[in-house]
Amino acid sequence: MIFKKTKITTAYTLEQCTKCGTLTKRKFREGDVLFVEISKCNSCDGATRIEKIFGETIEQ
Amino acid sequence: MGDDSNPLMMIVWILPIILFVFYGQQIQLFVTSREIKKGIKKLDGFRVDSRTELINFVKNNLKAKDDPVKKIDRFLDYFTIMPVDMDPNGIVDKVQHIVRSREDYTREQVKLLAPQMSDIELSKVQTLLEIASSLQMIHKIINHMFLTAKKQNNYPLILPLQMILPFIMEQAEAMNDAIPAFKTGQPVGDGIGPMVVGKMMLDSQKETIAFQTSLSKIDFEDRKLFLIKAEGPGSTVGRPSDGLQKIVSENKLDAIIMIDAALKMEGEDSASVAQGFGAAIGGIGTERFQIEAIATSNEIPIFSIVIKQSVKEAITLMTKEIADTAEDVSSQVYDMIRANTKQGQSVAIIGVGNTAGVPQ
Repeated sequence: MIFKKTKITTAYTLEQCTKCGTLTKRKFREGDVLFVEISKCNSCDGATRIEKIFGETIEQ
Repeated sequence: MGDDSNPLMMIVWILPIILFVFYGQQIQLFVTSREIKKGIKKLDGFRVDSRTELINFVKNNLKAKDDPVKKIDRFLDYFTIMPVDMDPNGIVDKVQHIVRSREDYTREQVKLLAPQMSDIELSKVQTLLEIASSLQMIHKIINHMFLTAKKQNNYPLILPLQMILPFIMEQAEAMNDAIPAFKTGQPVGDGIGPMVVGKMMLDSQKETIAFQTSLSKIDFEDRKLFLIKAEGPGSTVGRPSDGLQKIVSENKLDAIIMIDAALKMEGEDSASVAQGFGAAIGGIGTERFQIEAIATSNEIPIFSIVIKQSVKEAITLMTKEIADTAEDVSSQVYDMIRANTKQGQSVAIIGVGNTAGVPQ
């Protein structure tokens, strides 16, 4: 390989509704920590909790 | 077709042979030196970048009283003299004392930079400082070995350096890549143990059992579970051995289960989960020694679950594959409890690792 591919890692936050279990994946925002209830669920009136914070790497 | 008796051809063949016989080592030294120089240049870049990141973090995020640069530079040059090991009796206590004294002193000094900073910010600065000083030390040692070999014109002296450099570079690159995750308080691969235990702790009462160490007591199928993890979401590993000691002094434990990240071997899949026996905890060895001593004196079996990952994965932002093992590890913990304890018994479950971004 003459040109080395650059790897870009993006941080994501996975929220789950504590009532209906709906999962929402969005980009990580500073201040996000696991297990914190942060917003209202779009599908029901339940609260969403941060279940996972992880990075996904793509090669460019 | 060449003529073997041609004197010009003879010189063409003999000259390189003479050159390699008498100057072979110097040529090898020259070639190897170029490779090592490239590595040292990269290490120097890491050293400078990590220092700059640390200074910028302190200047931009904390209301520093005075200019922090001078103090930070002094912290970066701190060294630790390990105790004499000619008589190994009692060495673990001595090592633990020195390491903890250093941590306490650094914490106090960092706090003086901006007295109103929160404990979470303080743990971030401490971790960034640890990374920057490690990178500075690595650069200093490798550069010293290289310059010594060059000064002596000693090829054999440069060989061990050539051999260890790829491993050192892997560690240094991992440390350099870890800076953004610790700066923003994101969970790292090593945080999978605290993540599993932190989730088990949700909706239960927490107490501080030891310095930066959290405890929750819950019931599970007529068994009493003592859940221990470092106090998140700051960047710390806590003092699980002190916590365990306190629990054992007040309760009778029947099993200890430890969940930790473990370095994978080359060829092994990342984020694979394995079970085993013995204390799964890294670091300098003092925590492991203490946990083993407690388990031995109280005849408590230690079971472990490890999540395999590379050095880089362990200290950089947690990968999706590692995060996805949390449910599986959690169910393995419950299976382990059922398989190894009876109803009415007590189990300590320790989530080992850096708890950055992982509260309880």
